[in-house]
Amino acid sequence: MGRLVALLAVTGIVLGLFAALTWWVDPLQEVWKPGAYAAAEKDGCLLSQELVGNRYYSFKLDVFRSRPTRTFVVGSSRVLKIASHSGERSFANLGYPGTAPSTLLKLFRALPAKPVQTVYMGVEAFWFNNHYAIPDTDPSTYHVAEYLLSRSAFWTSYQQFKLLDYVRPPHRWRVTTVGSRCTIARGYPSINWNLDGSRVWSFELAPKQYPRIHGTPFTGTNLAVWRNGYYDDWHALDGARIRQLEQVLALAHARGWKVVGFAPPEPPGIERVLDTDPRIAPQWQAFLRLMPALFARYRDPWIAQGVRCPASQFPDAFHSGAACSAKLRDRLDEAARSLH
Amino acid sequence: MLFNSFPFLFAFLPAVVVAYFVVPVHRVRLLVVVGFSYYFYAYADAWFPALMAGSTAISYTAGRLLERELDDRRRKLLLAAGITGVLALLAYFKYTTFVGGYALDFVHVITSTSFPGAHRFVNGIVLPIGISFYTFEGISYLVDVYRGTLRAERDPLRYAFFISFFPHLIAGPIVRYGILQPQLTQKHRFDADRVRSGLLLFALGLAKKVLLADGLAHWVDHYLATPAQLGLAPAWASTLGFGFQIYFDFSAYSDMALGLARIFGIELPWNFDRPYRSASPTEFWRRWHVTLSTWLRDYLYIPLGGNRKGGRRRDLNLLATMGLGGLWHGASLNFVAWGLYHGLLLAGTHHGRRRGWALPRAAAVAVTFVLVQLGWVLFRMRTGRGIVELYSGLVGLHGLGGVPGHLALYILVGAALVFGLPEEWRWPVGRWNLALVAATGVLFAVAVSSVYTSHPFIYFRF
Repeated sequence: MGRLVALLAVTGIVLGLFAALTWWVDPLQEVWKPGAYAAAEKDGCLLSQELVGNRYYSFKLDVFRSRPTRTFVVGSSRVLKIASHSGERSFANLGYPGTAPSTLLKLFRALPAKPVQTVYMGVEAFWFNNHYAIPDTDPSTYHVAEYLLSRSAFWTSYQQFKLLDYVRPPHRWRVTTVGSRCTIARGYPSINWNLDGSRVWSFELAPKQYPRIHGTPFTGTNLAVWRNGYYDDWHALDGARIRQLEQVLALAHARGWKVVGFAPPEPPGIERVLDTDPRIAPQWQAFLRLMPALFARYRDPWIAQGVRCPASQFPDAFHSGAACSAKLRDRLDEAARSLH
Repeated sequence: MLFNSFPFLFAFLPAVVVAYFVVPVHRVRLLVVVGFSYYFYAYADAWFPALMAGSTAISYTAGRLLERELDDRRRKLLLAAGITGVLALLAYFKYTTFVGGYALDFVHVITSTSFPGAHRFVNGIVLPIGISFYTFEGISYLVDVYRGTLRAERDPLRYAFFISFFPHLIAGPIVRYGILQPQLTQKHRFDADRVRSGLLLFALGLAKKVLLADGLAHWVDHYLATPAQLGLAPAWASTLGFGFQIYFDFSAYSDMALGLARIFGIELPWNFDRPYRSASPTEFWRRWHVTLSTWLRDYLYIPLGGNRKGGRRRDLNLLATMGLGGLWHGASLNFVAWGLYHGLLLAGTHHGRRRGWALPRAAAVAVTFVLVQLGWVLFRMRTGRGIVELYSGLVGLHGLGGVPGHLALYILVGAALVFGLPEEWRWPVGRWNLALVAATGVLFAVAVSSVYTSHPFIYFRF
């Protein structure tokens, strides 16, 4: 019996050590580290994307919970520059890359019904292309366990642990500066998060140190490479995803939340493509027709292309920058005020 | 469900072991294992258990009827009906695509008419994993009952256990009921030494699979993806690499099956005994997938006449047996060619012996090893073109090529294990001291941590 116990114990201990080191170093950023966000809050710093990794969902829930949130915005990565006004603590940006109607439904169900919220809901047309694959931004416990027990992740963790001092105890991160701001980071904080959940590109703070991001120009031919292929092979608005969005609106309505829907701003050149390219235009137009009607069903306003920004306000020709997003925030606040 | 997967290692296995030993009533224990085994099978596809239940019902019923029937003619008819019943399922699921595909191609050539609906139908048939194994087990049971060497099982639960017992369900060993029946009537108490011994064998098998076979697979797949570009050195390295890969992969599964069964107090027959140490093709088949080769010998080769009807008939019997053995592996001409190649080697061995040809053992082992490796080309490369390209590389028609270092290292480690140590099931794991047990625990942990990127077993396809 003793040797059977020894066999199981040794196996368990070695696997436990593997898992512990991988959990600590987390080379593929699959583990949410609430301590990193707490450290950013404590020091009033930014939080580097390196410490959020694939765990957007958990991160955004923590953002919501850590603030007296009364107004929040949801949507894709293209709403991430919508930020709090100066000194405003009750606003949170709960958008993240990979948002879709199904993830919104999950997020809304996870949020408390009270207090009543005002929601700015950025809706993307490409969500309704059923070829748009929704990434996993909330890995399951099983997936995380597989990762923690994997030999390759352990080996990478071990290499990083040997080489990088900022993953050695007692901390799994370091405080560094990007331009004038401090950030809780690891090696290269090129993207950071404000405490309200809005995004800060490091090139905005230290343009000499961090290169600007450049988008893929529209060549007019290959939709598979343009905008990550989100509009490729799109023939109709996906009914199942429309129903999921309706469920989201119904849930918000049932909770008495005020919702303002909007389509995130497009650079002028891109808007022309969406309006005229025969492969996209019919679906785009159908989307613009459907959304006001859908939101109106729950007496929620819809702002379609209500904010127009020059191309210079889209740093990577895809995501709106701070100035355009501030203009959009004002427009959304105005629409929300009319609801109260 | 795969042995080399987290759901199996962390949920299924602990659950079935605990449930088995917690239940005090023997028959309920059997029921627990059958239930878990059906769940294990359903994990691959929800309808597979229905198929296995059908096959089990056919062979069980035919066995009962066979034992009751005294008239020899009727017994023959019953045997034929039972075998046809279980074989029909195998034929439909495994060979319809193969035969139907060729038939449709032939019709297309003759009539210039293609039948897209029929093509879709034959290509849409899914092969249920493990069906080749449990079909052969059902057939051996029926033949043994017919021959009177085995009493038909009256208890459907015990018979269902025999067919479905999860350690050997998917890829063998092909168990004969005579071996299992006496073990199913005993109640096995929890025995820590036996459980430890089973776990150690399972751990060694898992390590062999994920550390050696999968490591080899990575490089072999890489090189054999482009056989036309392989010079002499990489062609030999990838051929030898595949030879070691398939051996480690399949023998690892067998070790794991033996180890798992031992945990439950059941000893399954061994399947491998360092086959690459064989000094002749005949010896090779006494050491490679032994439960299949003895099955083919007892239920095909001997009924065909074996070597009792003269040398020419023996050669034909060998070719027929090995050709069908090849076809059992997969519904594809390359497997038939591989089987026939081994049939020729076996027939050649008989002729060589008759003429008094003999080599020193070391030379005979080397020649047999090379011949077996050359045969793996037919097994591994699924297209005629791929086979020709790899053989061309092996004779240097594509130049010399560079030595693939990683693959060569794996081959050296594999060869050292194969020629330096006995087969793992022979290791006296039950008598290992604490240090060896602890070292195996570390190896087990490393193996478990490698299953995340592990490949399915090669023999799952058959």
